[in-house]
Amino acid sequence: MIKAVPKPLEEIIDLVKDFHKVLIVGCDGCVTVCEAGGLKEVQVLGSSLRLYFTQAGQRMDIDETSLTRQCDQEYLDQLKDRIDHYEAVVSLACGCGVQYLAERYHDKIVYPGVDTCFMGVDLERGVYAERCQACGKCILANTGGICPIARCSKRMLNGPCGGSEKGKCEVNPEIDCGWQLIYDRLKILGQLDRFEQPVDPKDWATSRDGGPRKIVREDLRL
Amino acid sequence: MAMHRETDKIGAVLVVGAGVAGMQAALDLANSGYYVYLTDRSPTIGGIMAQLDKTFPTNDCSMCIISPKLVEVGRHLNIEVLPDTDVETLEGELGHFRATLNRRPRYIDPVKCTGCGDCRKVCPVMAVNEFNAGLDLREATYIRYPQAVPLAFAIDRQVCIGCGLCGQVCLAQAIKYHDVPVKREIEVGAVILTVGTEVFDPSGLENYHYAQQPNVVTSLEFERILSASGPYRGHLMRPYDREEPKKIAWLQCVGSRDVRTNSYCSAVCCMYAIKEAVIAKEHAHGDLDTAIFYMDMRTYGKDFEQYYNRAREEHGVRFIRSRVHSIDPDGECDLRISYVDDRGEKQSESFDLAVLSVGFQVSESVKHLARRLGIGLNQHNFAQTDPFMPVATSRPGVYVCGTFQCPKDIPQSVMEASAAAAACSAALSEARWTRTKSKAVPPERAVSAAEPRIGVFVCNCGINIGGIVDVPAVREYARTLPQVVHVEDNLYTCSQDTQVKISKIIQEHNLNRVVVAAWTPLTHEPMFQETLIDVGLNKYLFEMANIRNQDSWVHMKEPERATAKAKDLVRMAVARARLLKPLVEKPLDITQRALVIGGGMAGLIAALNLADQGFETIIIEKDKELGGNARHLGHTIEGRDVQKFLHRLIADVENHARIQILTQALVVGFSGYKGNFTTEVLVGPGMYERKIKHGATIVATGAQEYRPREFLYGEHDQVMTLLELGHKVSQRYEVAKWDRVVMIQCVGSRNAENPNCSRICCQGAVKYALQLKDINPDLDVVILYRDLRMYGFLEDYYLKARNQGVMFARYDLDNPPQVESVDGKLRVTFNDHILNCPVQMPVDAVVLSAATRAADTEELASLLKIPRSADGFFIEAHAKLRPVDFASEGIFLCGMAHSPKLISESIAQAMAAAARAGAFLADVSQTISGVTAHVDQSRCAACLVCVKTCPYGVPHINRDNVSEINVALCQGCGTCASECPAKVIQLAHYEDDQLSAKIRAAF
Repeated sequence: MIKAVPKPLEEIIDLVKDFHKVLIVGCDGCVTVCEAGGLKEVQVLGSSLRLYFTQAGQRMDIDETSLTRQCDQEYLDQLKDRIDHYEAVVSLACGCGVQYLAERYHDKIVYPGVDTCFMGVDLERGVYAERCQACGKCILANTGGICPIARCSKRMLNGPCGGSEKGKCEVNPEIDCGWQLIYDRLKILGQLDRFEQPVDPKDWATSRDGGPRKIVREDLRL
Repeated sequence: MAMHRETDKIGAVLVVGAGVAGMQAALDLANSGYYVYLTDRSPTIGGIMAQLDKTFPTNDCSMCIISPKLVEVGRHLNIEVLPDTDVETLEGELGHFRATLNRRPRYIDPVKCTGCGDCRKVCPVMAVNEFNAGLDLREATYIRYPQAVPLAFAIDRQVCIGCGLCGQVCLAQAIKYHDVPVKREIEVGAVILTVGTEVFDPSGLENYHYAQQPNVVTSLEFERILSASGPYRGHLMRPYDREEPKKIAWLQCVGSRDVRTNSYCSAVCCMYAIKEAVIAKEHAHGDLDTAIFYMDMRTYGKDFEQYYNRAREEHGVRFIRSRVHSIDPDGECDLRISYVDDRGEKQSESFDLAVLSVGFQVSESVKHLARRLGIGLNQHNFAQTDPFMPVATSRPGVYVCGTFQCPKDIPQSVMEASAAAAACSAALSEARWTRTKSKAVPPERAVSAAEPRIGVFVCNCGINIGGIVDVPAVREYARTLPQVVHVEDNLYTCSQDTQVKISKIIQEHNLNRVVVAAWTPLTHEPMFQETLIDVGLNKYLFEMANIRNQDSWVHMKEPERATAKAKDLVRMAVARARLLKPLVEKPLDITQRALVIGGGMAGLIAALNLADQGFETIIIEKDKELGGNARHLGHTIEGRDVQKFLHRLIADVENHARIQILTQALVVGFSGYKGNFTTEVLVGPGMYERKIKHGATIVATGAQEYRPREFLYGEHDQVMTLLELGHKVSQRYEVAKWDRVVMIQCVGSRNAENPNCSRICCQGAVKYALQLKDINPDLDVVILYRDLRMYGFLEDYYLKARNQGVMFARYDLDNPPQVESVDGKLRVTFNDHILNCPVQMPVDAVVLSAATRAADTEELASLLKIPRSADGFFIEAHAKLRPVDFASEGIFLCGMAHSPKLISESIAQAMAAAARAGAFLADVSQTISGVTAHVDQSRCAACLVCVKTCPYGVPHINRDNVSEINVALCQGCGTCASECPAKVIQLAHYEDDQLSAKIRAAF
């Protein structure tokens, strides 16, 4: 799922300090799962802001809510009757949700309340790791189920670079060398012969090089 | 089990002594269906544990963990607490005893006394406060400590001058100057002696100057010095000048391991000295230097060794191996300690404070009691017991547990207390529920739809609250709050007559919410809830405002502001009360059958006891044969024949009508919850599958001897483990030919790989050394050890071994002995610490005291969802007070699956597990608490946070991909509700809106 972290409180205070009526909107999807933007975080942020502005002697009305998903029109519509009461909205959804909310309510000031980081997995509670870069053309079938795009710092396609040392990446010794992982896994799978076939340069047009992307599924359209 | 059969046995038990062991035995028995008389010589229950500051190895506050037990005992319908009471005579036999009790006068009626303390405030006489170990004074009208049960004062007539002031101020009219002793006869089926021990008085040891030097204190005095409720309010001070000490010394084995005083080991002093040193360092404002002078560091209990290591390495406690020969005055009040170090050189060092780690001994009054009751004492005047029947005294039907059985720590005492309860329960099972009281509960009236009608009762608490807070003003203020339909103030809201009054008012005014503004809910909430239940009102429609502890006590100098705060607290309570909902406590159906996993000594004992208690029991054993590790043991150190006992035990188990045995059986599935488990088992040799439904589970999976990789083990035939030596000793012929044998202790224990002490190997080595000496007195036996951990009465055998010429030589972890094979002959080299040079000797055999390691239970643990430590032993619910329970209810633990232990200790723990399981099965009136967590599944993100954070492993993501919480398993801790990132979990009775309303009302 998408992984995000809450923005520092000071940053959000700075964003909203000139308003008096603010709505904080959480998202019940990915950001709830990574505990960055669910209803609980909405309430924690709301309470923190109220405490801050009360102590600062500034009037500030803050309301809290959360939507099933902010990446769907239908759920965003649920705000239509109340959003006009607020001068600004802080969205704790991922970057997609913040933008879609801003798009749906075009004349409303919408601020992000989280930093959206990556698509990843939960290693344990509070520890998340990147696993996919959404390149648009999956090659995991050939790399032992470990993605060199997401897990090699240089996105190498034909084995490790010279910076791989004792299984670690030269960028940071905390990072496993993606290619070491691929090698180890292929060895277990008895597929080391994959290394004998060089891989052609990747067509990055399906990734960000082709500009903002869009999927149109004719089979699904109504 | 609840059948009321005709029986001539008496279904009541007398428990003598209400320390932590007595309380545990009483609770287990009362919950199992027996009426309990719990006597204590003092005016309160709680024993020595109530005086302790912190408890090892968790550093929990002693009072914090014992006080809920005090409350539970005090409120139990089937425990009659009899303070100030001695047992004078005991006639009859098992099943039919007649005891004469003598209640000494207390001069204050504990039934009328509300514990308000007004009498103490006017008392003009002071006396030595024995609760604070004589370090300060108390009034002649006194209560031992504020949490005491019964919560009632007493008058010390030895110092009382009879001025009568207390009688004048006591509004409850509880003072009885003319109180007299009262004799009473009771009938019981069995008796448990939990009379405990006294601490050794070091006044007679002249070279320590305890009686002359104020800065020489006993360890119990030091506990009180550290305690926040002690004489110095928890500030680290020394008695002479009330200065904070900079250097403190502990002297171990004072009144223990000393042929002049008591020759046995008191078993707990090493650990409490380490704990006191660590806690003292926490209390100190600057650097505090702590030194412990010891002979052997006996940290043999579960996780104790790691506590010792942390004290030495992280806290910098100094450990000096020496027996101190004298403490002399140094300057005005400092102390000079002279000792000989382990190299034999004289040393001396000055300290600000010396703590004598005093041991346990049996008091004169207990010796008299034993004589009156006709039970045998051993050579140290402790109750005489048998290793195979550790809680039975010489008189059938009279059981013993706790320190009067042998010096021991709290968890061991608690285990034995449950074991003694198990013994009684098995002996009296047909009389279960024949003497108990029960309470009729009227049907509950429906209130959920009705408009809240709130009644507010404000307590004066004598003058405790009323003397500071303007109670009538608070009462009138409460009247103005919305939906409050009745207000009232009482002198003592907690008194019995007020309960009757409250009941009437609830009915007359048709109240459906009750608010009491008085004391702490900790002690009083259950009592008021009972009043609600008695008039058919759901007990969750009750709320308290603590206007005493949180208001009148802390703001006694500002009465006006205290009154304003009382109003705030009442307004908050009313705001929450308005939103309270009645909660249903569903009855718990309990399958009347127990499952014991493991057919070793512990499992067999547990199964036999449960079957004797009347419960059908199934044993699952993975091997072909029953018996486990005990099959490899010849005799105990006391000389008792293990095989004979084991064969009889197995025969008893096999012939018992209520026991089924499944051997070569493997647990492959486990589901359900307390009272309703289903275990799937594959049973050999055909490996057919069986499903067993049961209400309680006992885990007794044992442990195994480590296969050493050290000291040529496996390479040379004559290098063997203790168990292997045991076989050779039983056969005799080979060992009789030996000239010299070396035993090496701590092989695979107390090292980097396994930091734990294996507890049983020191006595194992000494036991076999003595048996070898019996076979061939000329045999040289050398035991190479690090600390010889012969705790309790095991010390006798250490002494005996030394007298018989067994040689003991100490080695350090960084300089272990060397074992070599030269031309097939074994040779051992070790460093002699007195000669300080290497000693080399040819030997016929090398015996390794190999560690006791956990059995492989990883899969079982994950099936049962029960926790294990890093070293693979199961983790009990609470190291001190719940030593045989798992945190998940209905699952219990015993034997070496918990940690290494002796046969006698395994037996006691197995009986304890049987007592706990039996009490659980017998209590068919159990309900599931209404305070459980609920998921609003429509918005659940299935994020797994609740699954990951629940300490009991209850929530799971169901087939609909949402979290599901089984209310029967939920413990109501609220962790999931507070952690849920989607805020879709609410804890009933503590719902967000209820607490938000309360908080909002504050502002």
